Amino acid sequence: MRAAVRRVGAIARKEFIHIRRDPRMLVTVLIMPVAQLLLFAYAISFDVTDVPTLLLDADKTQASREYLSAYETSEFFDVVAWVDSPADIDEALDRSQSRIAVWVSPGFSEALERGEDGDVSVLIDGSEPNSAQLGQTYAIALNQQLDREVTIEWVRARGLDPESMGGIETHIRTWYNPERRSADFLVPGLMVIIIMIVTIQQTAVTLVREKEQGTFEQVVVSPILRWELMVGKVLPWMGLAFVDVIAITLVAITLFRIPLRGDVFTLATASVFFVLSCLSIGLTISSRASSVEVANLTGIMIGFLPGFMLSGFAFPLNGIPPFLRYLSYAFPGRYMVTVARSVFLKGAGMSVLWPQVGALALYAVVGLALASVMYARRAR
Amino acid sequence: MKWARMRLLVWKEFLQLRRDPMLLPLVFIQPVLMLLMFGYVVGSDVTNIPTAVIDQDRSSTSREFVRAFENTGYFEIVTVTSDESAVRPLMDGNSVQVAILVPTGLQAGLERGEQVPVQIIVDGVDSKTASVASGYASRVIGEFTRRRIERTGLMPEAAGIDARVRVLFNPSLRSVNAMIPSLVAYILMLSSMALMAQAVVRERERGTLEQMFVTPITRGEYLFGKLTPYIMLAIVQIAAVMAVGVLWFRVPFNGNVFVIGGGMLLFMGTTLGLGLIISMFSRNRQQAQQLTMFVLIPTIVLSGFIFPIESMPPAIVPVTYLIPLRYAVIVLRSNFMKGSGLEALWPEFVAMAVFGIAIFGFAVSRFQKRLSD
Repeated sequence: MRAAVRRVGAIARKEFIHIRRDPRMLVTVLIMPVAQLLLFAYAISFDVTDVPTLLLDADKTQASREYLSAYETSEFFDVVAWVDSPADIDEALDRSQSRIAVWVSPGFSEALERGEDGDVSVLIDGSEPNSAQLGQTYAIALNQQLDREVTIEWVRARGLDPESMGGIETHIRTWYNPERRSADFLVPGLMVIIIMIVTIQQTAVTLVREKEQGTFEQVVVSPILRWELMVGKVLPWMGLAFVDVIAITLVAITLFRIPLRGDVFTLATASVFFVLSCLSIGLTISSRASSVEVANLTGIMIGFLPGFMLSGFAFPLNGIPPFLRYLSYAFPGRYMVTVARSVFLKGAGMSVLWPQVGALALYAVVGLALASVMYARRAR
Repeated sequence: MKWARMRLLVWKEFLQLRRDPMLLPLVFIQPVLMLLMFGYVVGSDVTNIPTAVIDQDRSSTSREFVRAFENTGYFEIVTVTSDESAVRPLMDGNSVQVAILVPTGLQAGLERGEQVPVQIIVDGVDSKTASVASGYASRVIGEFTRRRIERTGLMPEAAGIDARVRVLFNPSLRSVNAMIPSLVAYILMLSSMALMAQAVVRERERGTLEQMFVTPITRGEYLFGKLTPYIMLAIVQIAAVMAVGVLWFRVPFNGNVFVIGGGMLLFMGTTLGLGLIISMFSRNRQQAQQLTMFVLIPTIVLSGFIFPIESMPPAIVPVTYLIPLRYAVIVLRSNFMKGSGLEALWPEFVAMAVFGIAIFGFAVSRFQKRLSD
């Protein structure tokens, strides 16, 4: 056993020397993750506000101005211009200078006087579906509210009692992240994604490279056992991954002021299993890939596509087709994103998160077992 | 430049691609996987949000109110209780993302004509779902109130506003319609940049590059032979992605193939140039891979391809103008959805041409020099 430990240590040291010899590699592994964190956290946001909006007042009365001023006070709509002709609307929408146009038809205030509905058109550019969808929802909600206000005023003006129309007052509260800061929501998830991409990528090439360079045979003729080789190769990457975890957590807490409300122990345990799960994916790729290019390409592909997109990090998984939802359970990112967010923002601990942590533990054990079988076969 | 030699070089490159038993299949699996992910995951709209209902009123009105939420398809009601303290553990355990609190006296209050407060709690941890859910909730409640008042017939002739909200260009508001067109540019970038860089570096790593240059092959011929296969590969991938997008995902195509073809050709100058630059600065394929990621990640984040530029903080927006993919995405989306032609898209074409010529020109001149060293 002592000899085994020594051999594993030797392989790990050799791997470290490889990493140290290549300063660019160190930069990739240690500085890139933090740089990526900064980039993502500053640039990505799903909060849609200040959508450029055009207003066209064809009625030009007190009532129509009052109606349109509601758009000016709303945070969602950013009124960029008042225009005079429908042609201006067409042009601005075509050139993407504005995304929404509100058009009050002539006769708006007369209709209201007569006790009828005043006509209004809201045009939304659908080519950016994300903001268009929210624009549609907000426009409908705003108009319902204005509709009610107009009706109440009309009723009151006729000396009736508007109180006789019961209604529902909506109070929306956001828990855990009341200001809906996107950094709060992004950074814990990003930590998971970045570590996954770095770890899978780096371990995917370990074995293939030695094979291609022919150094592999030298290792094979030495007394080292297959599992010792694997452990030795994986240890340095595991160490680096943990350095990344700690660095990103520190940046999150100090720079982005993300509250760490929950149990650090749960986060650490889950991280260990998560890193091991990612390593097992990387090793599996390495054991199957036919060349360095293939390993690289598969690493990007798996890390980025199912790993990133099916983790629930940026894209909610509630609306996706069932077969993809099942597939998402096959990637460790999904569990870890839930754990990281719940620990950071919800203050959750093991009592709530045991299913996810358990799934990660199981994933790590099964994944590593599978990887070592395939690795040993490849090494032969 | 001899045609016969160039043809042979192209042939050799294809042979090498084919020789690797996994590389070529991978090159074709990748677009399929991307289509799946972008078509179904990124392009999916927020629906079936798991929702808890705390119904303390337990009246026919409150049930009708809850049904109004359910009928939209946006909310999937997973639990109904009357206990308010049940919300916290449900939210903590991530089993629901929205809770609707209907207070006692909803029905009685509405019948008396009062304003009854209803609380909607959303989980702010997932901000996209949170903002969509609160928007939908306001809309559902507004419609509910309106319908109720209409039904009571209290004031059928009251004044009001009849707002017609119309969505132009993409009336179904499907995100796929925006995602698939931009995927074309992204796949082009991956194939012509990442794959090509690996192929060039491999040759240097193995020393076959030097062998090549003791033969009468000129630098120009070598470059032509190296780039052509990847351009051809990219064209096949693009055609496949567009076909699957239109036929399977039913993305409406209102544009012009020539506008897209021209735009992509200009964009290819940038991607091939970047691929060459990456290969020049890498000693081995792993370094090339790392540099590729270094270029790819900011490109994905800042191009507006996945994350809307409109939502970015104002300080970041100017940076997006430096990302060539930004222009390609605008050209593809506008042409696909709005049918915009050169008269609307010329600024993007000019930008892509400038980037393409500058990057490709720089890459080729440096590459020639580097090879002669």
